[in-house]
This record gives sequence, C-alpha cells and structure tokens, in this order.
Amino acid sequence: MSKKNQQLRAERAERAAAALREQELRERRRRTLMVGGVVAALVLIVVAGFLINRARDTSGDVNADPPGVGEHGLAIGDADAPHTIVVYEDFLCPVCGQFEASTNEDLEQLAEDGKAYVEYRPFELLGRFGDYSKRSAAAFAVVMEKSGPEVAKEFHDLLFANQPPEEGPFPDDDELVALAVDAGAAEADVADDIKGGAGEDWVDAATEAALDAGVNGTPTVLLDGKVFQEGRTWEEFAEELVAAASE
Amino acid sequence: MKEWLGLVARLVTGGVWLYAGALKLSDPAQSVQAVRAYQLLPSSVVSPVGQLLPILEIVVGAMLVLGLLTRGAAAVSAVLFLAFIIGIASVWARGIEIDCGCFGGGGYDPNASEKYPWEIARDAALLAASVWLVTLRSTRLSLDSRLFAPRPSPEGA
Repeated sequence: MSKKNQQLRAERAERAAAALREQELRERRRRTLMVGGVVAALVLIVVAGFLINRARDTSGDVNADPPGVGEHGLAIGDADAPHTIVVYEDFLCPVCGQFEASTNEDLEQLAEDGKAYVEYRPFELLGRFGDYSKRSAAAFAVVMEKSGPEVAKEFHDLLFANQPPEEGPFPDDDELVALAVDAGAAEADVADDIKGGAGEDWVDAATEAALDAGVNGTPTVLLDGKVFQEGRTWEEFAEELVAAASE
Repeated sequence: MKEWLGLVARLVTGGVWLYAGALKLSDPAQSVQAVRAYQLLPSSVVSPVGQLLPILEIVVGAMLVLGLLTRGAAAVSAVLFLAFIIGIASVWARGIEIDCGCFGGGGYDPNASEKYPWEIARDAALLAASVWLVTLRSTRLSLDSRLFAPRPSPEGA
C-alpha cells in the first residue's frame, strides 16, 4: 500500500520536474529569439546609418578643371605630361603648411621630370580667422600677374615657409611686399597693388570656383581629376603620390 | 543601491555617446577628417571608420540610456573608449596637435596638448563606468528588465 503511494508520488514529482524543464527550455528559447531579434534590428540600424552617412560624405566628389584651363591657378611643368595634379590650398591653413613642407620638392620634381602637370590653386577658405587668408592669396595673384609664374611659384613657397599661426599675428602688407621681392619680384611692380588689395577680386573668383568644384577643405589634392588621399602622414602621402604619378 | 548607481552610470555614459554622435552626424566629411588627423589608420580604413562612428555612438548611447542589452552595449562602449584613449595618447606621444574630434570638430588645434590629459581622464572615467556596467547583472528602469525578465508571471501581466 505505502509502496504504491510512494511510487505515485515519485511519478508526480517527475512529471512536475519535466514540465518545469520544458517551461525553462521554452523560456530560454524565447529569450534567445528576442535578443537575436533586437541585435539584428540594431545591426540593421547601424548599417543603414553608415550607408546614409557615407552617401552624405561628398568630400570625394570634386569636379575640378584640369591644370592649365582656368585662371585661378599656377601651373608648373609640361602640359602634355601623362598625369595631372591639382592642389587646392589656403596660405593660412596649418595642414597646408605641413603638406607643403612634405610634398613641395616632390611635386617640383614630378613637374620637372615631365611626369605630371601640376597646378596650385590658392583660395580663401579660412576667412573666419581674419584677413590674412584673403590678403596673402591676393598678393599671390598680384605677383603672378606682374612678375610671372616662376616668381609666383617662389612667392608661393615662401608664403608657406613663413606661414603665421592660424590665430595670428599676421604679416602686414609691407612684409608681404618684402617677401615678394625676396621671391624675385621688382618692388615697383607689385608694391602698390599688394598694398591696395588689387588681387582681391581674383581671390573671390578663385574661391567661388573652388567651392563650385566641390572643394570644402584644404589641402585638397587631385591626381588625374580624382581626390588623392593615400598614406597616413604627409610624408607617406608624398611617397604614394610620387609612386602613383610615376606609373 | 547598486542597481540605482547602474542607472546613473547608464544615463551618464549613454548621454555622452548620444551627444557626441549627434554632433558628428551633421558633417560626415569632417568626421572622416578628424579620424584622418590621428595619422594612425591606413587611408583605406579612415573613411569607413569616420562614417561609421557617429551612428555607432548614437546607437550605443541610445541602448545605454534605454537599458537595452545593457551589458553588450556597455562592452562596445568600453572598447570604443579604450580605442579613443589609445588614439589620444598616441597623438600626444607623437607631438601631433589635433582637436580630438570627440564632439565634432577635429583637425589641427594649436592648444591641443594642454587638453589631452583632461580628455584622457574623462575617457578613462567613462571607460571605468562602462566596464562596471558590464559586470552588473541588472540596473533600474531598464528595457532589459521588461523585455527579458527571467520568467513571465503565470497570472499574466
């Protein structure tokens, strides 16, 4: 009698335990499914957001004229060279200064060797830091017009070699004239125009052309019409650019 | 008590992520430039990372604030803070002066090296909060405790 009772009790306990296990299993499955679903939804949001963000990043879409076409640049080298390089820069931009320090001689060499036709296009990007961005580019325009491309190239190099800090103090017009004379300009040719801001209209037009082309940062470098951004440092950038332009 | 502190850690850390991500979202090109300025990543990786970070920060921030998959979100948050600390320490050590780009912006900044210690301290504190959240089983007022409660009561909700 009691033996039978015991047996019944054991069976009941076992059924209850089985039901409990079953319920736990279902519960675990439900949780796994839910967590999986939430994770999948979140991953989807991140991927979609990434793709949208990527489409909104238009910094690679620069549609600029090749060198030698427009009036807003200084071209060096052979117009028939197999590659073209266009450099948009601002004489005040500190990163342009680093860029020039690392690449200036390499670009000169590429132009000299007939490997690339190089054009520098200064414009006013950093007007919010004061008047130097515009004043320096205007002086550059005057020197290019009055003293020719070779002196202008030297003036361009000197402007970067003597670049003031972004927040000033800035060289005044007399110092810009002195720098132009150092570059080889005759003082009588350029002094009045630099001091009178005669190049400012040129800067406005160059700036409009750069913004129209889609340039929204400096330096922006195009190799054969495409934005070039290889390398982690400007030294690596220069190496990669020389390698790509030597092909 | 711990669960309430966990809620505070979630709101602070998640709030910082939401704020940082939202500021970066407006200008993906600048976000890419900010990543590039660290001069750490290969150029092919720079753009995707710069474009991914804002949305990732917003999603992780939202997960922490809502308490959704808190421990997973906190783990991602911790990894990101660790990466940022390494990045800032690395530019500091190499003498590169850049805005950390933590809350938008980025690129050259002449006074950057004065800010690096404070930025690293801030990220280290948030890293600690994130790691602590990973170790917590549950926190107050979280979606987790509603969605993934251990067992639904038999009487029904």
